[in-house]
Amino acid sequence: MSFFELLAESMPLLLQGLVLTLELAAVSLVFAMVIGVLSALMGLSKNPVLHGISAGFVAVIRCSPLLVQTFFIYFGLTEALDIRMDAFTAGAIALSLNAGGYLSEIFRGGIQAVDDGQTEAARSLGLSSAQTTWHIILPQAIRICLPSMVNQWCITIKDTSIICVIGLAELTCMGQMIIARTYRSFEVWIMVFVLYFAVIYAITIASRYLERKVSLDVKSGD
Amino acid sequence: MSKVEIRGLKKRFGNNEVLKGIDCNIEAGQVVCVIGPSGSGKSTFLRCINCLEQPTEGTIYVDGNLMDANASNIDELREDVGMVFQHFNLFPHLSVIDNVTIAPLLRKKMEKDEAEKVARELLESVGMLEKADAMPNSLSGGQKQRVAIARALAMRPSLMLFDEPTSALDPEMVGEVLDVMRRLAEGGMTMVVVTHEMGFARQVSDRVLFIDGGVIAEEGTPDQVFGNPQNERTQNFLKMVLQA
Repeated sequence: MSFFELLAESMPLLLQGLVLTLELAAVSLVFAMVIGVLSALMGLSKNPVLHGISAGFVAVIRCSPLLVQTFFIYFGLTEALDIRMDAFTAGAIALSLNAGGYLSEIFRGGIQAVDDGQTEAARSLGLSSAQTTWHIILPQAIRICLPSMVNQWCITIKDTSIICVIGLAELTCMGQMIIARTYRSFEVWIMVFVLYFAVIYAITIASRYLERKVSLDVKSGD
Repeated sequence: MSKVEIRGLKKRFGNNEVLKGIDCNIEAGQVVCVIGPSGSGKSTFLRCINCLEQPTEGTIYVDGNLMDANASNIDELREDVGMVFQHFNLFPHLSVIDNVTIAPLLRKKMEKDEAEKVARELLESVGMLEKADAMPNSLSGGQKQRVAIARALAMRPSLMLFDEPTSALDPEMVGEVLDVMRRLAEGGMTMVVVTHEMGFARQVSDRVLFIDGGVIAEEGTPDQVFGNPQNERTQNFLKMVLQA
């Protein structure tokens, strides 16, 4: 089989895997963003219970491997709770929590980097604490941590490959299956590599553009 | 009833007692300038009035309402007390006009058209209408501060607090901000101004408070405080700043 025959045969399956990879990443990142913002706000709260929950959550996520988290949810939790869960759901939960933990720290740093004067100005106008957070602090915090946030998105997209271990037929898993049938490891891994690279590189380019677009720095200002 | 009634105000930060017992009334329509050495507690005094700093002891009433940072009505009470900061604190992610409309939109549930109409009138009154769509970071310090004044006025406050509004400005921009404040005072606004601009304090204020060491060391009309200060610390302070 020539390279091009291999390519023609593999690509539909790899693209199918890529779609699943992107679906898993998208679902996970949406939840991870929500978890990350909530956990960051809880972590900055003066309430010791909320603060403790956030700190504990971040510690658990950061101090254990994603692979173990995935196994724990897919095998451990389902056994303990006596429920059934498909690999996509388990993978999405593991990735959401994992990325949520890291994003929590990224957002916390971003929120803390916003000048206290912003909160004071907003509160002095009568804005409530929630209105201040939502309309004044978060829009600036997101801008500050945009590069780190996109970095975490890229990591999480790549981390979907770990969900392969519980049998989800995402891109990496598809590559393995094709190799098992064709024994063409070198070429197939290059194809897998190129597909990951194309998607993630496109995202980094888009992020650079977005960064410039939303930047608040004006050269002529102070 | 006075516009602002302050009784036994004390404020501690840790072991550092910044305000050591301040009693003072401010009448509606009065312009009160607060002067004193740095670190004397002037800014803390001002920030207690709208509860950006919660008093450790004592009470502050504005229009008969107790100001308490932990009370559920504090947001409503703050709507009526505008504040202008040394470092402007404009919202850098919002255009000039959005800076002015955000509080009326969120708090007064004003229609967008009406809020913008009001904002344009205010921006015109501070000479910033042509910059309505500019972003704050493209403005000079004096322009930023004029926008900040318009933003505070958009809530139609009956009391305005100014915390060293010209201290962060280049000298040539001080005048444009003081002009806006002077016109505001002439319009009858009740104002409390922490300032190092002795000329402004002397010309515009009805009353001058000299705060030193966390207490009001001397107060009176500008002519009394500047022309014939009784307290030795006031005399020394004025000698120092007027020499400079």
